[in-house]
Formats: sequence, C-alpha cells, structure tokens
Amino acid sequence: MATQDPNKQFDQVDWEEINNSSGTSYSINALGTLVSIGAVLALVVYDILFVEQYTPTFAFVGWGYDVSQLDFLFAVSLIVFGFYGVLPLYQNKRMTRYYWRQFKKNRPALVSLVWLGFVFVVGILGPVFISAPEVALFQKYQPPAFMSIANNYPINCVGPVVDGACQGTLNHPFGTTRNGKDIFTMIVYGMQISMKIAFITTLIVITIGTAVGTTAAYAGGLIDEVLMRWVDIQQSFPTFILYLLILYIWGGGLFLFIVLFGLFAWEGTARYTRSNALSKVEEEYIKAVQLSGASTYRIVRRHVVPNTASSIITNVTLLIPVFILAEAQLAFLGLGDSTVPSWGQLISIGRNDLGFAPWITLAPGFVLFLTILAFNFLGDALLDALNPEANTESEG
Amino acid sequence: MGMGWYVVRRVVFAFFVTFTIVSITWGLLSAAPNPEVRQASTQAALEGGNPAEARENARQRLGLDRPAWERYVDYVVSIYTLEWGWSDTRSQPVTDAIANSLYYTVQYSVPWTILTVLIGPLVGLYSAANQYSWRDHVATGFAFFGYAIPNFFFGIVLLLVFGVELGWIPVIYNTQVPVFSVENIIQLTIPIFVLVTGSVGGITRVARNEAAEYVNSDFVKTARAKGVSVYRIYFQHVLRPTLVPVSTTLVSQLLALFTGASLLVEVVFGIPGLGRLLYNAVLSQDTSVVLGTTLFFTFVATIGNLIQDITYTVLDPRIDFSER
Repeated sequence: MATQDPNKQFDQVDWEEINNSSGTSYSINALGTLVSIGAVLALVVYDILFVEQYTPTFAFVGWGYDVSQLDFLFAVSLIVFGFYGVLPLYQNKRMTRYYWRQFKKNRPALVSLVWLGFVFVVGILGPVFISAPEVALFQKYQPPAFMSIANNYPINCVGPVVDGACQGTLNHPFGTTRNGKDIFTMIVYGMQISMKIAFITTLIVITIGTAVGTTAAYAGGLIDEVLMRWVDIQQSFPTFILYLLILYIWGGGLFLFIVLFGLFAWEGTARYTRSNALSKVEEEYIKAVQLSGASTYRIVRRHVVPNTASSIITNVTLLIPVFILAEAQLAFLGLGDSTVPSWGQLISIGRNDLGFAPWITLAPGFVLFLTILAFNFLGDALLDALNPEANTESEG
Repeated sequence: MGMGWYVVRRVVFAFFVTFTIVSITWGLLSAAPNPEVRQASTQAALEGGNPAEARENARQRLGLDRPAWERYVDYVVSIYTLEWGWSDTRSQPVTDAIANSLYYTVQYSVPWTILTVLIGPLVGLYSAANQYSWRDHVATGFAFFGYAIPNFFFGIVLLLVFGVELGWIPVIYNTQVPVFSVENIIQLTIPIFVLVTGSVGGITRVARNEAAEYVNSDFVKTARAKGVSVYRIYFQHVLRPTLVPVSTTLVSQLLALFTGASLLVEVVFGIPGLGRLLYNAVLSQDTSVVLGTTLFFTFVATIGNLIQDITYTVLDPRIDFSER
C-alpha cells in the first residue's frame, strides 16, 4: 500500500508524476470515504432537522422504515470497510492474488468465509425484502419443516395433521415461537444485528486502538506510561461484568451496547500498534522517510499503520465473536435490548418451551455457534496467511 | 532491581487497579439517577403525597445531599473495609450473601480449574507429538468446537438431552445434598463439562503451537540422539518451555470464563452461586448486591492477573526485570 502500483519496475516509474502528486493530494480511498461519509452526515442532519420524530426518514420515497442512529453508524463503518478493506484488495491485485493463494489452502477458513459472506449479505438485504416477524397467536409452536409436534400445542396447524401430529411446512422452515413469530425471519433479522455489532465495534476498536498505540509509541515518556497503564487497567477489567453493571445502572438499547463494546475493547489493538510502531521506527525504510522530511503524521499514516494492519485485522477478527457472544449472553439474561430480535433474545425466548419445542432455542443457537466458529477459523487462517512465520496450521 | 522489587511493584499496581475500578463504579453510580430516590417519589405520588418532598427525604436518608467528595471518600473507605451494605431482598449483609453463594460457586470452580490445568496442556502436547495425524485433527476440532460453542447454549442442549430426554441428571439443582456425595457429583458433572470444554480449547491451541516449535528443535534432536526416552523428552524438554506462554493463556481463559460464562452456566443449571446472585439482584433491582458481586468479580480478575504476571516471571528465568 506504500507505493501506488507495485507492478511497476524502478526504471518505469514516472518521477514527474510523483513529484506532482506529493503535497496535499488525497488518495481515491480517502476522497471516497470523505464524500460518502459527508453524504451520510447530510442525511443525519436532514433526519434530525427536517423530518419529524416519528416520521420515517425516507417517507418522501415511500419507504416506511425509520433509520436509527445505529443504522447511520453502520453505514459509516461499511463505507470505511469498503474503501479501506475491499478497495485496496482491488488496487493491489498482485498482493491479493498472493493472499488468496495462501488462504485457499485452508479449507475450513474458506468455508467460514463463505458462511460469513452469506450472513453478511442476507443480514443486510434480508430485512429489506422480508417483512418483520409478526405476532400470530393462532400459529404458535409450528414445527420446522420435516418435523412434527403433538397437535395440542399449535392452535392452527399450517401444515397437514397426520396421526394427531402437526407436520412442519416450508412456510415456516424453522418453525414459530410461542407468539407465532417465524423463527427463520427472526434469525435473518438477528444476522443484521450481529453484522452491525461486528462492523461498528471493529470501526471503534481500530480507530481508538491505532490512535492510542501510535500516540504512545511516538510521544513516549509520561504520555506513553499513562496510556499503557490505562491499557493494563482496561485489560484486567472483566468486560462482561462491566457491561452488566453499566446496563444495570443505565439500562439501554443496542446503540449504547455496541458503543460500549467498542469503547472497552481496544486495548489489544493499542498494544499491537504500539509495539509494532516501536519496532518499525528502527527499520531502515522509516529512517529513509524521516530523512526525506516526512512529518510524523505521514509516517504513521502511510507506513506504520499499513504495516501493522495484518496483526490488527487478525486481532479484530478474533474479537468480533467475543462481542457477538457477549450480546447473545446479555440478551439471554434479559438485559439486552428487548426491542431487537437478536439471536440471544430468541434463545432465551425458547428456554421455557424446551421440553416440547426445542427448535426455538436450537435454531438460533446453532447459527450463533456457526458464526462464532467461522470467525475463529477465519482469524486462524489470517494469522497463517498474513504472517508466514507463525505457521500454525496451513495444511488443514 | 531483582524479581522481588518487580513483584512488589506489580502488587502495588494491582492495588491501584482495584482503586481505579472502585472509583469508576462510584462515578457510574452517582451519575445515574438513584432508583431508591425515584421509587420514594413515585410512591409518594401514588399515595397522594408530595413527590418532591419525598425525593428530598430519600436523598437525605441515603446521604445524597452531602458534597460529592465526602460521599466518594465514604464509599471508597466502606468498600475497602468490606462494609458493602445491606441486601434488602435477601435480608442479610451483602458480604454474607456473597459468602453463601461462593460456597456453591467453589464446588464447581475447583474441579473445573483442576481439570483445565491438567487436560489443556496435555492434549496440546499430544497434538504436537502427533502433528497432522488424525488424532491431531480430532483434538484441534474438539478445541475449536469447545472454544466456539456458546457455553450457555451448550449447557441448554446438554440439559435437554441428558436431563429432559434421558433423565440421567436432575433438571433442578438440589442444594440439600452434601458436597462430597454421588448426587452432587452427578448434578455438577454437566456444568463442569461445559466449562471445561469452553476453557480447554484456547489452551490446547496455544500449547500445541508452542510445543510444535520445540518438537523439532535442536535440543530435542540431541536428546533423541542420546537415546532419552520419549516420555522424558516430552515431559522434561518440551513441556517446560511450553508452559510459560500456556500459563498466561490458562489464567486469562479461566478468568474470562469465570467472569462471564460461569455466570450464565449457573443461571442455566440453577446453581445458586455468585452468578445467580448477581442475576437475581439485577432482576430485583438490589443495587448493593449488584455492586458487591460486581466488585467481587473485578477483584478476582485483578488478583488473577497479578498471579498470571508473577507466575510468568517465576516460570521464565530469561525475563529481564531491569526494563520493567
């Protein structure tokens, strides 16, 4: 990422162009990010100033969905992810091909990537096309497709009744809950919540973590000491208990929840960045950049952060499942946001009906398990692909 | 500047950490509206009294009208002198409530810790010894499974299978049975199993990767060439350097589960331990118990981290203290 086109040979480099481009020019990534975030901010301002509180944001085009703060934050994180996560892969085709070759060897990770891609796409598009799960008391306790339940539990069996047992249909592939809500729809909505948790917390963690890490490394002295001691304190703080305490005192929706996750989980990223920045300063190429008069900000932005990216990404990939699990656990305890149909919420709904309708708990539980597993496999594979020294298990 | 000095500084820092945490909890509590004050004013309003007056009275009774620093000093002093207040829902001091619950938490925590310490490094070592064989893949798969499956969900599934369907374990935890009895062992088996699978996974991975580095190292080759027995090679030459990084993971994994998953496992299995105490207190809005259990968990975490750092330095004689 340090050079614009790595395929160019040294003698083909157009020095005129480089001379012209140095100075205050912005890369396409930065420009795209700024413009898109500007558009989102304009929408936020529009939503706050011009749209009445209970009117949907896009009422003028007839879309009856009220966009929340969380959605705006999600949009911002998706924009940053697109311009700094996906676009660079396209810009550096050679490196992408190399990473892909390394990554492909690890079959569990490949499957995981496919699963996470599925969760991502369905989570984002699903709620747009599938209407929200609705209470339908007459259709409670419908069994999943190809399963059956004694006919005294559901009031109105959607499928055929064979020998006094209600058969499942494809109308409700995973069955329905006590309120008759379709479990498949709830899981799709839960996917979006999990993806929001994943992306927004990642954005917060990477922003704060790299900022603190590089500041500590470059400032040194007292600032370094104070920041890193705070990181130590934060690391020894049992995060789950802290979330629980804060949610108990303040109560709160998913927004507070996600922001909290991000604000109290950046210590690992800060440590990585700091130690990496410290070791990079000793390298020859950083010295060369320093000698040619680059500012500290430029060194950090263009050389230290890109070179630390791999360990930050790996660290974050292993952090995301922790967040998703924490949300599920809190929702299970009944401390989550009861207005959103997250997977943990669904698991706890089904707990009382476990004896005769176990699918209510099992279906979201397995989706949660698979997602956490996929993130772990992916993190493991990234560790191998991005860091050839730590060759843990590429012969999978 | 030896190890003793380092340990002393580490202990002082741990104390400072608890102090910071206590201060943060005070900040959180005093910034939020007090539920008791709110309750008093609501009650007054319902009974036709003056809500504002009731609110003032409640504030006076709870000592909230004093200056902030005075309340802060009071709070910190009472935390460190173990005067953690009175639990209204349990009609006993918070410290007593915690001690009572700890009795049940310890019953599963001790076997869980022992099993984790024994199984984790050994399975990792076994994996490294049989690298890329089917045994290794089974162990790795098991590690990933245990690490990834949400403990509370795994608990529910096992309770469904063994408690509801097969009837091998009681669905409701019985507090009446003696600690060292067959009934108690049976009813604690599944919770302990769930927690062990959760904590062992990460440790196995680290132990395997670390041990794999040493399996082909020069000193192991030398030992093999000299004709040292296989067991001696693994337990004396490979296990020891492996244990240094493993010890850190071990403590952090156990702590992470103790302050997170064990709470939910208690709720799932109905064990009246610390997690359930905290859970019930949250449900019944018993602030002093919520605070007490929270602080207890954070203190355990701080002490655990302290132990982790100290074991690390004791186990690895190569660590240089002059820099720290």
